[in-house]
Amino acid sequence: MSTVPVTPGPAALSVQALTKRYDDGTLALDELDLEIPAGEFFGLLGPNGAGKTTLIGAVTNLIRISSGRARVFGHRSDSLEARRLVGVAEQEPNLDRFLTVREALMYHGGYFGMSRDEAGARAEEMIDIFDLRAKADVRAPKLSGGMRRRLLLARALLHEPRLVILDEPTAGVDVELRQELWRYIRRLHSQGTTILLTTHYMEEAEALCEDIALITGGRIVARGSATDLKERFGVVTLEDVYLRTVARSLEREASPL
Amino acid sequence: MARPQPWRGLLWLSAREMHRVLKLWTQTTLAPVISSALFILVFGLSLSTRISQVEGFPYREFIVPGLIAMAMAQAAYSNNSSSIFQARSDRYIHDVLAAPIRPWQMNVGLTIGGVFRALLIGAGLLAVALPLTDVPVRHPLELAAAVLLIVTLFGAMGVVVGTYAETFDHHTFVNNIVILPLTFLGGVFYSVSILPSPWREISHANPLFYIVNAVRYGFLGISDVPAWLAFAVTIVMTAALVGWAQYLFATGRKLKP
Repeated sequence: MSTVPVTPGPAALSVQALTKRYDDGTLALDELDLEIPAGEFFGLLGPNGAGKTTLIGAVTNLIRISSGRARVFGHRSDSLEARRLVGVAEQEPNLDRFLTVREALMYHGGYFGMSRDEAGARAEEMIDIFDLRAKADVRAPKLSGGMRRRLLLARALLHEPRLVILDEPTAGVDVELRQELWRYIRRLHSQGTTILLTTHYMEEAEALCEDIALITGGRIVARGSATDLKERFGVVTLEDVYLRTVARSLEREASPL
Repeated sequence: MARPQPWRGLLWLSAREMHRVLKLWTQTTLAPVISSALFILVFGLSLSTRISQVEGFPYREFIVPGLIAMAMAQAAYSNNSSSIFQARSDRYIHDVLAAPIRPWQMNVGLTIGGVFRALLIGAGLLAVALPLTDVPVRHPLELAAAVLLIVTLFGAMGVVVGTYAETFDHHTFVNNIVILPLTFLGGVFYSVSILPSPWREISHANPLFYIVNAVRYGFLGISDVPAWLAFAVTIVMTAALVGWAQYLFATGRKLKP
């Protein structure tokens, strides 16, 4: 695990009383408070429907916030400056079906304000880093699941964001690719990038993250390093912490008496 | 990396939309030109000897402006409604929404594709119609203005419908049940002035009637209503649709849950 000290300055992500209620009445985020210091490798664990993806969407201008506020390095999360500083790789692939791998990367660079030369150079760099050279001229629908995952990550990192949000980046990938992605993400973090990782894999959270929060019902129910959490709850594994906290919260919600 | 320029996002987004049109050129451009050219051949040339002049012009010349207006309107609408709908259903619009691009820039960038496609089709049809029918262009500036208004109006309409559509059928419904019939009944093949009352008056309630007449004025110098009225109604409709599209991007309504 990295021992890079957190960077001074505004928090990479500061969320205060963030609430999101969808049009169908579902309360996905319930006055959630969260602060992630700059330079930290932060893990967010929670069951499906806990609010992880909604939180990510709220921070990256993909979801309309009902109330509360979110700031990225001191900027409002929906501001141009904040968007420029964030790179997100969503859980479900969302690739442009008309573009090849190279084009997808270049256009992404363009959307983030890069010139043609900059976007082209950076695209070639990411193609090599993520071993996409053999498929550089192939369109997204024809890529394998693993290749799409690589492309999603390459796209999220192309514009050199200061905060990288990875929503279950290794879901459905093979062991070799997972190890490869871990190595790259660790290297990225060692260079000062703040990482927000959501995952269902406890060993992944424990291996990578300096700080972990557990979320359920749109609220943070526990937070700390893996070691702190295990000591606090008197258990041996992070999975036990998860079951103690998340399961307890779910039981409370199911049985109000 | 040099400081990113937000306006580059607009240029790249526009380029992506035009890229899509060119990638599918047989479907987006060639097919509509062929089908509209067939109308000119069948209705214009073959019936021209049997139909006496309309408003002082040979029938083959009279129908050209309406056919070009109809083809361009449908192209601008179809392109943008399908592009936005696909972007939403495949979720690659998230790459745009998360980018540092202003709402009005997203609106313009996503509208450009339909404008580009409609202009290509208009140019193609004009290249076919001029030698075949000898149609004059009496007021080129007014024609240019009418064309610009049509492609903007229907491009914006496509953006709005594509944003609201829940299924693919929704956006084809608007074209097949609303745009196409209203265009036909707007005087593409006949002068509304020959209709008996009350059909003549009812035709004046058809918004596409004014669009057809604005284009016809540019080509032939004639219109079933004063030219200023045809342009005024077209301008008002264009402003309304552009404003509606801008509202959707500014608020994120229907684009962001």
